[in-house]
Amino acid sequence: MISYIIKRTLYMFPTLILTSILVFALIELPPGDYLETYVAELLAAGETIDPQKIEYLRQEYGFDQPTWQRYFTWVTGMVVGDFGYSFEYELPVREVIGDRLIFTMILTFFTVIFTWLIAFPIGIYSATHQYSWSDYSLTFLGLLGLATPNFLLALLMMYFANQWFGISIGGLVDPDLVDQPLSWEKLKSVLSHIWVPVIVIGTSGTAGMIRRVRANLLDELRRPYVTTARAKGLSEFRGLMKYPFRMSLNFFIADIGGILPTIISGAEIVAIVMSLQTTGPLLIAALQSQDMYLAGSFLMLLAFLTVIGVLISDILLAVLDPRIRLSGGMSR
Amino acid sequence: MDKWERLRHGAGLSKKKSRSEQALNGVANNVSDILLSVKDLHVSFSVQGGRVEAVKGVSLDIKKGKTLALVGESGSGKSVIAQTIMRILPNNGNIDRGSVMFFDPEDANAPVETSAIPNGDPYLSHMRGGRISMVFQEPMTALSPLHTIGNQVEEALRLHHGKVGAEARSETEEILNLVGFPDPHRGYDMYSFELSGGLRQRAVIAMALICNPALVVADEPTTALDVTVQAQILALMKRLQEKFHMAILLITHDLGVVANMADEVVVAYHGKVMEAGSIDDIFRNPQHTYLKALMSAVPHFDMKPGERLVSLRDIDGEGTQAIRQVSARFKNEYLGDRNEAHLSVRNLRKEFTIRKGSWFGGGADSAVVAVNNVSFDINHGECLGLVGESGSGKTTVAKLIMRALETTSGKANMKMAGKPVNILEMDDKELFEYRRKVQMIFQDPFGSLNPRMTVQNILREPYVIHQVGNAEGQTEEIIDLMNLVGLDPRFLNRYPHSFSGGQRQRIGIARALALHPELLICDEPVSALDVSVQAQVLNLLNDLRSELGLTSLFITHNLAVVNYVADRIAVMCRGRLVELASREEIFNNPTHPYTKTLLSSVPYPDLDRLLDFENLKRTNADDASSWGGAFTASEDAVLASIDIGDGHLVLANQNSDIRELTT
Repeated sequence: MISYIIKRTLYMFPTLILTSILVFALIELPPGDYLETYVAELLAAGETIDPQKIEYLRQEYGFDQPTWQRYFTWVTGMVVGDFGYSFEYELPVREVIGDRLIFTMILTFFTVIFTWLIAFPIGIYSATHQYSWSDYSLTFLGLLGLATPNFLLALLMMYFANQWFGISIGGLVDPDLVDQPLSWEKLKSVLSHIWVPVIVIGTSGTAGMIRRVRANLLDELRRPYVTTARAKGLSEFRGLMKYPFRMSLNFFIADIGGILPTIISGAEIVAIVMSLQTTGPLLIAALQSQDMYLAGSFLMLLAFLTVIGVLISDILLAVLDPRIRLSGGMSR
Repeated sequence: MDKWERLRHGAGLSKKKSRSEQALNGVANNVSDILLSVKDLHVSFSVQGGRVEAVKGVSLDIKKGKTLALVGESGSGKSVIAQTIMRILPNNGNIDRGSVMFFDPEDANAPVETSAIPNGDPYLSHMRGGRISMVFQEPMTALSPLHTIGNQVEEALRLHHGKVGAEARSETEEILNLVGFPDPHRGYDMYSFELSGGLRQRAVIAMALICNPALVVADEPTTALDVTVQAQILALMKRLQEKFHMAILLITHDLGVVANMADEVVVAYHGKVMEAGSIDDIFRNPQHTYLKALMSAVPHFDMKPGERLVSLRDIDGEGTQAIRQVSARFKNEYLGDRNEAHLSVRNLRKEFTIRKGSWFGGGADSAVVAVNNVSFDINHGECLGLVGESGSGKTTVAKLIMRALETTSGKANMKMAGKPVNILEMDDKELFEYRRKVQMIFQDPFGSLNPRMTVQNILREPYVIHQVGNAEGQTEEIIDLMNLVGLDPRFLNRYPHSFSGGQRQRIGIARALALHPELLICDEPVSALDVSVQAQVLNLLNDLRSELGLTSLFITHNLAVVNYVADRIAVMCRGRLVELASREEIFNNPTHPYTKTLLSSVPYPDLDRLLDFENLKRTNADDASSWGGAFTASEDAVLASIDIGDGHLVLANQNSDIRELTT
């Protein structure tokens, strides 16, 4: 088992190195470099430029070095947590992303928990009461949730909250706390604001999850080992939880790999509509303004989270499913 | 037992109980040896558009410590009766009428009318697994792959006797030992997919027995097993029954198993009891037409040459005649000399490599030899039966001949349209031609037909692929094909799902015959079919073979079937061909120890030829170390096929003496 985890972890590195090369190629793709754009901008504004200053900046930012060397600096920087410099914000990327990343993580965490809490009981109920009226109604509601675009739901909620309760539910924190450094006050404010975006972002995920829990559980419920459990005298609920439900979890564990990247890039449109200070809108803005180091860092972070997510899924699957654990020639 | 009384009163059952007492006064006084009594049971299922009655008034009594066999084909309602007794009917199932009375000897309140207890009542949880337990057909799927054998076997102990930890574990290991686990301590921590089929079924039996129930319901407990394993499991069940004094309700379709296991027999057909009685009455003096028909539909070993199976429901009464009318078109054009080889296979070998390593290195690839040095001839018009248990490599041989797999080494030659061809070295063009001449009939009549194609399209496809004839000519042939296999051509526009298993298998046969093949490979063509339908299909195959002059390779695990259809029989074991001889020779003079074990493991539906449970080997039949020196390779001599007379080949040690082999 341990050797499997080590081996599986080692597999990550070639993938990450390849991705980093791709991402760096993307950063380098636009013609010229940022300084040239900067100079052109200054010239257009009619200002004079000191060639010495340009030369100094060129050296300072390493634009005079060959590509491979800059790639190397970039990659090694990332390893120690230096993600480069955002030209747009004139701040290190780390500071730009900073607490937005924390907000996003909190939001994603609650959304995922919300999705699971709602989807699992409903999915299980739907599967065990297949083709009953309650199953049909829940399925209908689920499909409705699936079909409603999130941003539309966000707009509707914002409108009605304003009409009926006279409150503004946009944003993640109180407006007067936005620019303050992260504090206990700010965190509390976040928690009091977070439930609306959680519901908005969570609905479609919940609906999809209900469908998948139901379908997977239905498959398992027809298996003979379910009958075996009943014939042994196991109560319906315990029999359900111990055997078919656990079997149907595989899909869901495999899903975890997909959840991690959404921490950064999920729900951008909702975030823009509700003006949430998450990383989604930032990523879009960085791509639009060709702030390549910021965008590149984002892409790299996405790739890293995907790979980590898949790693976690694989390890969990091996832990929970002996067929996977033992088929790879692993010892128990 | 006070607990259960309280629970039942709590669940508002006292009214029901008084009813059961009335029933008791009527019957139970003089039949104290009865354990479970089913009276006039009606069970129906609500399905879309109405109700389906599955059981229509069945009555039966199970006596303490005895075995009652419930015999019937699929759709007879036998499994539904079992589910009703266990009270594990699916949600859409309903007990309409009748009663199930359980005279539990350990229950002070016995008898209990279990059929009247509402779902969810604690008594049912107590009864299931604790007092009545079940053994299932398919041991692979009946066990959860995610939990260890020990966990699953022990579960009933935890539930019913409240035992946990080391105490439960030691009791579980004890029962695993009792059912024949070679190393119970290790077996406890293993998963079902790590065990062989036989061991899995032993685990399922251990699971059923661990709480020492009064009744074990065994639903087709050996149907999914190989014949030698079946004999072992049956012996085990007999032994444990004596040890624990439990009653068994044995549900099966196999009259051979019934003859060897049962004390009493109930024959069910379409949800009704056709005949019931002691084992002697049933086998020596069958009364009901259905039972008589069932008996004569099973191929058995005392059949005279040319004797036909009597199918329960004959296709149209004039089977062979219908075939004769249309067979001219499909007759094999190149009828070779019956004494010359049509297909000749020499030293065929197939290795499968199993990748163990990953692309980071480490771990060597290992090869599994699926087919090892197999040689045989099939003469023109002959039917060679290839017999073996699961994993013996018989299907792989068929696939190699079909060129569905690439051979590792060896030769295979065939006379195609009178001209010899080397099967293994054909180019694409020759191979395409070869595909017309060699056709296959598959085991699973459900999986082998595309559910989205009409029968017409299924039968037309071979003509389209091989560009034979125009549309009209094809239609004409298709209609004749339907007549040939005894199906009404009006069914051509239907989809496969509207046919029964036997009819689908006929469609499969028709498809195989469409291109006028010379060699027909039948891979277990009847093992998925009911006994009566099996007789129809076997008769049809036999008629077609003789009428059309087809050469065929008939692969099966069922010795009775191969005895009915084959001219010569080859026995395979672990990828090697251990014995090859004419049908009479194999059955009258089996020489190889494996063949002997195989033959002695077949349960006959005949009370005078019961299995010898006492002397049954406890080792697996394919374990070469139990075969004796003459049949195992030694350091200085390899195994070779030795002719012991009249083309009777036996795989034995090169240096061994013929006389030594035949004694």
